[in-house]
Order: sequence, then structure tokens, then C-alpha cells
Amino acid sequence: MAASTEPKEGPNAAFLIVKPMATAARQFVKSLVRPSTIVYPFERLEDPSFREEVKVESGHPIGVGPIWDNYRGVHALNIATCISCNLCAFSCPDLCIEMVTVPGGDPKHPKKCPQIDYGKCSYCGFCSDACPEGCLSMTTRYELSTPNRSEMIYSPQKLHEVFERKLPMNPIRLERPENEDAIRLDAPLCIGCNACSRDCPTSCITMVDTPKPTAKPGEKLPRRIWKEPVINDSDCVRCGTCISVCPKECLFWGTHP
Amino acid sequence: MWINMGPQHPMTHGLWNLRVKIEGEIVKEIDPEMGFLHRGIEKISEDRHYNEVITLMDRTCYVAGIAWEHLYIQAAEQALHVTPPARALWIRVLCEEMQRIASHVMWYAAFVQDLGLMSPFLYGMRDRDLLLDHFQSFTGGRLTYEYMRVGGVRNDLPPGTTDRMRKTLDWLMDRFVEYDRLCMGSEIFRKRCDDLGVLKANDCIAYGVTGPMLRSAGVRRDLRKDRPYAIYDQVDFDMAIADSADVTGRYLVRMEEMRQSVRILRQVVDWLDKHPGPVMAPNLPRWLGAPYAPVGREGYLLKRNYPKGVGLSAIEEPHGEANAYVVNEGGEHPYRVKFRSPVYVNLSAAHKYLVGYHVADIPPIMGSVDVCVGEVDR
Repeated sequence: MAASTEPKEGPNAAFLIVKPMATAARQFVKSLVRPSTIVYPFERLEDPSFREEVKVESGHPIGVGPIWDNYRGVHALNIATCISCNLCAFSCPDLCIEMVTVPGGDPKHPKKCPQIDYGKCSYCGFCSDACPEGCLSMTTRYELSTPNRSEMIYSPQKLHEVFERKLPMNPIRLERPENEDAIRLDAPLCIGCNACSRDCPTSCITMVDTPKPTAKPGEKLPRRIWKEPVINDSDCVRCGTCISVCPKECLFWGTHP
Repeated sequence: MWINMGPQHPMTHGLWNLRVKIEGEIVKEIDPEMGFLHRGIEKISEDRHYNEVITLMDRTCYVAGIAWEHLYIQAAEQALHVTPPARALWIRVLCEEMQRIASHVMWYAAFVQDLGLMSPFLYGMRDRDLLLDHFQSFTGGRLTYEYMRVGGVRNDLPPGTTDRMRKTLDWLMDRFVEYDRLCMGSEIFRKRCDDLGVLKANDCIAYGVTGPMLRSAGVRRDLRKDRPYAIYDQVDFDMAIADSADVTGRYLVRMEEMRQSVRILRQVVDWLDKHPGPVMAPNLPRWLGAPYAPVGREGYLLKRNYPKGVGLSAIEEPHGEANAYVVNEGGEHPYRVKFRSPVYVNLSAAHKYLVGYHVADIPPIMGSVDVCVGEVDR
């Protein structure tokens, strides 16, 4: 539609100034009933009593309500269910997640949980999308200001404190595809070293004995342990830890069984 | 005398420097300096997974983030030979049109404040927040959405979104009437803006100026009509055109575009109500998904096996025509990403529409260009 310009000299200049003034005056009267702004910090969006008080008609069609829960704010980490799979750190585009040791694991296989540097974090949510156990999720918490830069680094314990405050968490979680790729074994390359089974965060890899072949005359058997990993696909979270620790690159991503 | 307007100046709306040579009150020569906000987004993209580039796209243009996500994701999907499902395309258009209104309302607020009017600024910022609330309801972010993915969008709309959207659209249409009353109904506004910053159609075409600036000069050029992408050929809307080629014309074009966007959005929410379905393409390669687990030797296989490709997309961004070029040479990262920013081109024609006017006219003229420095410098 062609929006043509109106004649430049209006018929009644005084009236033309009155029009905007009347519009502003109407807004002023409206704002006496309830201002369009939120009087932070006395009112907060996440406060349930405030949500009930502010009605849709007052200029906030949806600004308040359960929809607010989708907000991507500070993370909450449930240390108890974290399996140290490293997927959050791997999927972080800003490299702000570092896996640090937390007490609770056995000395040979220490438990590592994410520590997040909020000075770098871009709140993209890829880490909580990647988390296979749902223990790392984003909450509605947004108050982060601090005079001290080192306080921007949240240790796993501090993230667990956020979790214990039971803030509303982002309810939209990504579903894993049904025919997800799985980890496969290239058996002739395997040396049975047990590295994958040892480091698997879900303990879904068990080492089973393989029959030792009888050497033909003149042939030398490879020097290896005669065991092979067997992967339980239903328990596997597809974190790829086994792939990254395998010294012989005999584990690889294959199609769904 | 040369004076610097910027890099820290209320006129700039960002971080750039306009050097102006004046004689008395008249602008004789100008020299725009850009690059203060250069972050090397194109180069960083070469070191990111295809989906991770989305986080950079939101920061490319900070008032129209999801439009740039749409631009990039179209090119990336073309390069990776991925076809998204229909519902994802409609949701993307929903996002882009919402973003167009949000961006134009933001422009309105900033532009009118350049003229010295305070109340419209507050109204504009208030109304923009309603759209940001909607964005937050399904993307989780208010400014950096990180919503689109190669092969679709991250999640479907939560229940009730379309009903809330209809309510907001009705509310917004009333506000647009109010905006017009405040500006076009004001003699002061008209006297200030008419015949200001004139950029005629032939100059627009010669300099490659696009978007509302081009349409305000009477040129019928809108990529949504001329080269329909996504589902724009299935919705009914009109191109916003003005013929005055001045600041008032740009104002009128943007106001009309917002009304047309509301018209598109009404059709889109109706469609989305009737057609539930998946929002992600099935059978995507594992390494294109969100959890980027270690690839192991697949990394080598990727380079050999996955078909190469090149993606080029062009969308009508709120500021003008934006292009993206993505080269897939195999592997998990794009080989090269290149963007064309409309505002960069619009700014480079600045001497055509600034020279000859008064110094006091610079803020309204530059305000009418709708400068977003994030995308100029990238």
C-alpha cells in the first residue's frame, strides 16, 4: 500500500499540536492507575504474588506469568545426579565451562562437575540442551552483579546452591532423536586396554573375554589383552568419553542398531 | 572546520564516528568512520560448529538478532543440503516479522528522541517489550535468542502462544495509531522532517541502498515480494512505499511496514494453529545436533564423506537486504562465512543525504537511516 505524504501545511496548526498532547495526556492518566514499568527491586517478575497482582490489561499482555520460567538465566546444577560426562563443557561455544573435581568420587575415578565462568558465559543454553541427565538446567535467576571479578566464577557447589533454591527452571527440554547414532567397535583394532570401560560415566561398558585365536605357523598374534568392550546402548548417553580415551581409535560413531 | 560526531555521541546510536566539515551551519563534507565495534564474527564463525554460529548471529545485530539467525540458517541449510519441515519455516517467519516490528518500534523510539521528543521514546520502548516477552516465552531470551538450528528450530511454541499473540497484535495496532497521532499529527514534527535528507531513487540504486530507505524513494523493491524466501509467497501482504525520499517518507514506510507485519503475523498464527507437526528435520547427521560429543575418527570421515556445498541466502532484514554466504568444504565447521550488511551500504551513501543540510539536521537524518553498528562492523 502506498503511504503518501499528507499536505504539509495543515488546515489548523493549533489543532495539530493538540493531537499529540492529548495522546500523551491519556497515557499519563493511565500511568496513574498502574505504571508500565516494574518497580524493581521492590517488585520482581519471578515473585508469585506480583504475578497475580499485575493483570493483562495494564500493558503487560504476557510479560508476567509462568512463561517467565523459560528464561535462560544462571544455571542450576544437581551434583548428585551429575555423571561427569563432560558434554556441557564440550558443547560450550565460549569455553566457559571447566570440569573440576568435587568430593564424593572414588580416588581412582574422581567425580568432575562443571564450573561456570559467568564473565564469559553467553547464556546460549547449549550446555543444558546437551546434558543427558537433566542435572544442568537454566533458571530464572538473573542477578549477577558483583564488585569482584572472581565471584563471577561459579563453582559446582555454588551452582548446587542455586539448584537448592528451587527456582523455576526452563521447562522446554530437547528430546533426543529416536534413531540416535551409537558407539560401535572396530574389533580387530581393539587391544582390550579397558580405558573405555574405566572412564565411562554411566558404566555401560563391560569388558568380556574374547577367545584367543590359535596362531598359525609363522604368524604372530598381536600383543594384547583378550577382552573386548560391550556397550549397553540403552544406558549409553552418547557422551563420547570412550571415543576420546581410546588409544587405538577403534571406537567410532555408527548408525543406530 | 571539521568536527567529530562520535564515537561517543547521542546521534550515533552505537559506536562509530561521523566527521563533519562545516561552514557556519551548513554541512560541506562528511567522512563516516566505522570499525570500532569490529569483532571478527566472520572469522570466528570458521572455528565454530554450524549451530554455534547462531550465538554470534544474535550479537551481529542486537536489535534484529533473530532476523540474522534466519539469514545465516538459510544459507547454512543450503550448504549442508538440509530441508527443514514446513512448521519450522512458518515459525521462523513468525520470529522474523515479530523482530521487524520490535526493531522498527525501537527505531521509532530512538529516532523520535533524536528530535527531542521524550514521551514517544518511552511508549516505543514499552511496546517493544511486549514482543520481547513473546520471544522469551518460546526462545528463553529477550535479546539473544539462540533459537534456530540447522534443520529447524530448537523447540515448538508453548501452548497458548498464538492466542496471546493475537491479543498483542490487537494491542499493537492501537499503539500504531497513537504513534501516528504523536508524529504525523504534530506540525512541529512535519516541519522538522519534511524535505530533509533527500536521497533520490537513482542515487539509492547507484549506491546499493536498500530497505525502507530505498522504498521511501518510490522504488518497489522488497525481497519478500521479489524473491520470496521461506513461506513469504504464501502470505498476503503489501509492500510499503512512499514517494517523498525524505525523513518523513522513511517514517511512513516503517510505520506501514509494521502494519503489514501485523497482517502477516495474523496469517502465520492462523496457519500455526491449524498445522501441528515436527519442528526439526528428521535424520540429521549426529554431528549437526546440539551435544557436540568428541567425534573421534569420524572427524576424518566427515571431511571425506559429507557432500560439500555452498549456501547463499538473502532476506529482507528490518534495515534492508542482508546476504549470507556459507561454504561447506566438509567437516563440522563452515569453511567460510560472509555477510552483507545493509546498514553498512546505507551509511556509505551518507554524503549524498547529509551534505548541504544544517548541523542540527544530522541527528534526525541519521536517525531515519536506522543505524545498527553491530551489523555494520560485524
